Amino acid sequence: MDTTVESYMLLATAIFVIGSIGFLVRRNVLVQLMSIELMLNSVNLLLVGFNRLHTGNMAGQTFAFFIIAVAAAEVAVGLAIVLQFYRLRGGVNSDEATTLRH
Amino acid sequence: MELLTELFPPANFTLLGFILLLPLLGAFVNGIFGKRLGREGVTLLGLSVIFAAFVGAIITYAMLIEHGHDGAAPKFHFMAWNWLELQGAGNGMTFRAVPLDVAFSVDALSGTMVLVITGIGFLIHLYSSSYMAEDPGFYRFFAYLNLFIFSMLVLVLGDSLPVLFVGWEGVGLCSYLLIGFWFNDDANASAGKKAFITNRIGDFGLLVAMGLLLYYVGALDWDGINAGKNSLLQPVKIWPVGDEVPIARFLPGGLADVINAPRFVNAATLVCLALFLGAMGKSAQFGLHVWLPDAMAGPTPVSALIHAATMVTAGVYLVCRLSGVFVLSPMAMAIVAGIGAFTALFAATIALVQNDIKKVLAYSTLSQLGYMFLGAGVGAFEAGFFHVLTHACFKACLFLGAGSVIHAMHARIHDTETSQDMRNMGGLYKFMPATALTFLAAWAAIAGVPGTSGFFSKDEILLMALTSRVTGPATISGGQYGMVVENFVWPEWYSYVLYGMGFLTAVLTAFYMSRLVIGIFFGEFRGWKIVEGWIDPHAAHAGAGHDTHAALAAHDAHGSADPSHAGHADHGHDDAHEAHAHPHEAPGVDNMDGPRPHESPWQMTLPLWILGALSVVAGLLNAHLIHIAPLGHLLEPIFAGASKRVEVSELAHSFEWMGAALAVFGACAPGVAVAYWMYVKQGGAPARELAVKFRGVYSFLQDKWRIDEFYAETVIGALDALADMCVWFDKYIVDGILARLSAFLVQLTGSLLRQFQTGRVQAYAAMTVLGTLIFGLYFAMPHAEVHEVFDDSSGSYKLSAAPGLGYKYRWDIDGESGWDRGDKFGNQTEVAFQLKPEEQRTVRLEVEGPFLVTSSYERVLSRPRGEMAAVEPAAAEPQRLKVRPARKAPPIMPGTQVPAGHPTLPNSPSAAPHGAAKGTH
Repeated sequence: MDTTVESYMLLATAIFVIGSIGFLVRRNVLVQLMSIELMLNSVNLLLVGFNRLHTGNMAGQTFAFFIIAVAAAEVAVGLAIVLQFYRLRGGVNSDEATTLRH
Repeated sequence: MELLTELFPPANFTLLGFILLLPLLGAFVNGIFGKRLGREGVTLLGLSVIFAAFVGAIITYAMLIEHGHDGAAPKFHFMAWNWLELQGAGNGMTFRAVPLDVAFSVDALSGTMVLVITGIGFLIHLYSSSYMAEDPGFYRFFAYLNLFIFSMLVLVLGDSLPVLFVGWEGVGLCSYLLIGFWFNDDANASAGKKAFITNRIGDFGLLVAMGLLLYYVGALDWDGINAGKNSLLQPVKIWPVGDEVPIARFLPGGLADVINAPRFVNAATLVCLALFLGAMGKSAQFGLHVWLPDAMAGPTPVSALIHAATMVTAGVYLVCRLSGVFVLSPMAMAIVAGIGAFTALFAATIALVQNDIKKVLAYSTLSQLGYMFLGAGVGAFEAGFFHVLTHACFKACLFLGAGSVIHAMHARIHDTETSQDMRNMGGLYKFMPATALTFLAAWAAIAGVPGTSGFFSKDEILLMALTSRVTGPATISGGQYGMVVENFVWPEWYSYVLYGMGFLTAVLTAFYMSRLVIGIFFGEFRGWKIVEGWIDPHAAHAGAGHDTHAALAAHDAHGSADPSHAGHADHGHDDAHEAHAHPHEAPGVDNMDGPRPHESPWQMTLPLWILGALSVVAGLLNAHLIHIAPLGHLLEPIFAGASKRVEVSELAHSFEWMGAALAVFGACAPGVAVAYWMYVKQGGAPARELAVKFRGVYSFLQDKWRIDEFYAETVIGALDALADMCVWFDKYIVDGILARLSAFLVQLTGSLLRQFQTGRVQAYAAMTVLGTLIFGLYFAMPHAEVHEVFDDSSGSYKLSAAPGLGYKYRWDIDGESGWDRGDKFGNQTEVAFQLKPEEQRTVRLEVEGPFLVTSSYERVLSRPRGEMAAVEPAAAEPQRLKVRPARKAPPIMPGTQVPAGHPTLPNSPSAAPHGAAKGTH
């Protein structure tokens, strides 16, 4: 079956909306991190999909790999912060992380 | 001597460099490392550099005498370095570049000054090494003193006005630092400030004089000024400042003419008055004299060196140095002489009633400075300058003697006021014979006892005041105005007025100085009762409280509670307890409580002896009366140019002895005699009676003519009012509106915005999403914008619509109703058409965005093109945005938008994004 770029866009949009809604409505920091991953991956999908239009140019694919690598690093830092936050508050509710308000 | 001449040739007299640098070196080392050098080191360095400079000065002077055999004025130059050059100063006649070099020169005038500065300076350094011995700021004091000597040497050795000005400011600075030396006491600090600020007014005059000299003469060095001084003889318009007085037009005709009438003066008068303003500030002449009496707050050696012997005579030196310029203006000279004579008389009257011995000497200094200006003002520069020399000797001796007395009095009490009050002294002759003898010698000089130095110098000034006058040319013409102005001529009576004031001053001087000497040294010692805790035994019961009294007295002698006077604190008075041998006897000198006043150590008495001797014999340097005048012969060539314009009447020779006799028997003798009668014979009773009888006059004199109060009411009051206004502005405008109001606004905004700062990461994310949606919506809406290109000659219009993502267009440009190619939207972005002359056409465009939203554009185009369209093509007609009903939207089919082959509409290629947008529909 020949997939068009539109179908990639539709799928990416769907994943992005799921990720952003998940980030907005869930209070668990771990779930929020996972939502962020979803959004990042939807963008990756878009990049790879558009790359199909340009035969012979692999910039979009390369970019997707970069994003995967950066996302891995970001998650490592994020999980470390979550761990410390858990030790501090005894939970991972993002509404309790309001100390930096002041 | 040949060797010296070879070493220091007159054209490159490097010895001046050594004389100048040594005190500077002393100041530098003492100031920076003084604390570590210790007292001995500071003394050694401070004294040796000044002594070395003194030796240099003697060598210089000997060489000056050697070179001055043939009657010429020898002058040695030393050029330190090129400083800067003023390009094109002066007016048309003297337009040239003026070099400002750090150059020094010495001739008989400045050479004599250098001798006085280094010689008396050394003696006073020696004196200070003992007087200030216990002061914690010992090294600081010597650093300042050395710096002062350096500045003063720059002042007198400078070869031009700018270099002199550097020294002028330098001595002002040192004066300020030394007056406020004991700055812990607020009064001393404000006295220093007063001196500095008052001097600033005078310095302003000196700066103005420099500017005027640059303009009229085009030179600032002494030789240049003397060479070009005749261009000062030109009329200058001083009034009105512009073409007319601004308020004159509101006045009636006759009055306006009077006010507007131009007034001309001699340019030399302006220059000399500006110079004299500078001299008035530094030499404390009437008007700007208020700082000098207050300057006595400094240590007494400072008063002797700076405020009596050297710095305050800088003004007289300036007038003598520029004597050639001053004699060009008889009017300025009349003012110099008049202010000098008035200051002399005015200060003498105040000195009559003062009780603080330093205050008496301060006003006496003012009075003698007035004498010097009187001498210089009548054209007797030599006499005026000679008085500088003799005054330096006897006034330094008097001040140092007073310091010695105060030093002795501090044995009794450590209080500035009380220890300087002559009502607490008397009979000190018995305790300090050396001080008393030298003080008497100086007293003889200032009172004018025949044969002493003061007698010769004052007599000469008085004689010249009567017989000498400055004459100028009858008229002054030339300059840019082409005016001829009558020159000022001294009135006949003026000489008599000057002589009268000078003579009266001499009488008063003899009187108040005798009063001072009698008050300090003769009669009964009255200081036994100033010891703290003293109880009048006649009032109290005999024997009561005597033990506590003794304890208090002993405590006072050894205590040094006041750190600022620690210098006088420890004299080691072992006799503190001996004095209580007979506590029940009547008090008095023989059996007083506490320590006795005592003679000062040799470092203090040696300068006194030398200065006392000089006070007596220095008159022989310039005793014209008995035709012994070596100094006069040396100075004569320097003032030769100036004395051509000074007219000395025939009276001078015949009146010579007569004047001297008058001075002795009319001024000196009566003054001394009245003082002797009043204070010795009658024990001061007539003075007290007079003070009660003429209470108004007495308090007026006691309050120093209330000049300070006058200034406080006028100048300082005005400044205070101005300051109050500034404070108000600062408080309410700057602080109130600018600071408080803006702070409030920022705070308000902040407290509003703070509500959004919840700290919840999801709230922030929701905001981000909202913002993204708003921007996305805006970009998704179509915006119909058209760019017009109009060619006026052919009448052709070319319209191009702004491109956008997924935009489709339909045009109506043919002037008929209905869209040009049906209701369908196409890809055409550019249209072109022609208008006939005077034709008008309504053009419409509708743009459809990707979400079936349309935006339309409509405007009337005409030929020729309307002005409004030229200015704002797009904004003339507001864009309208409306959502088209969905049912009206035609189905958009790929490939149908391109209207091929229309004659007037050029095809536009479909934009790349359209392909992507297509797919979403």
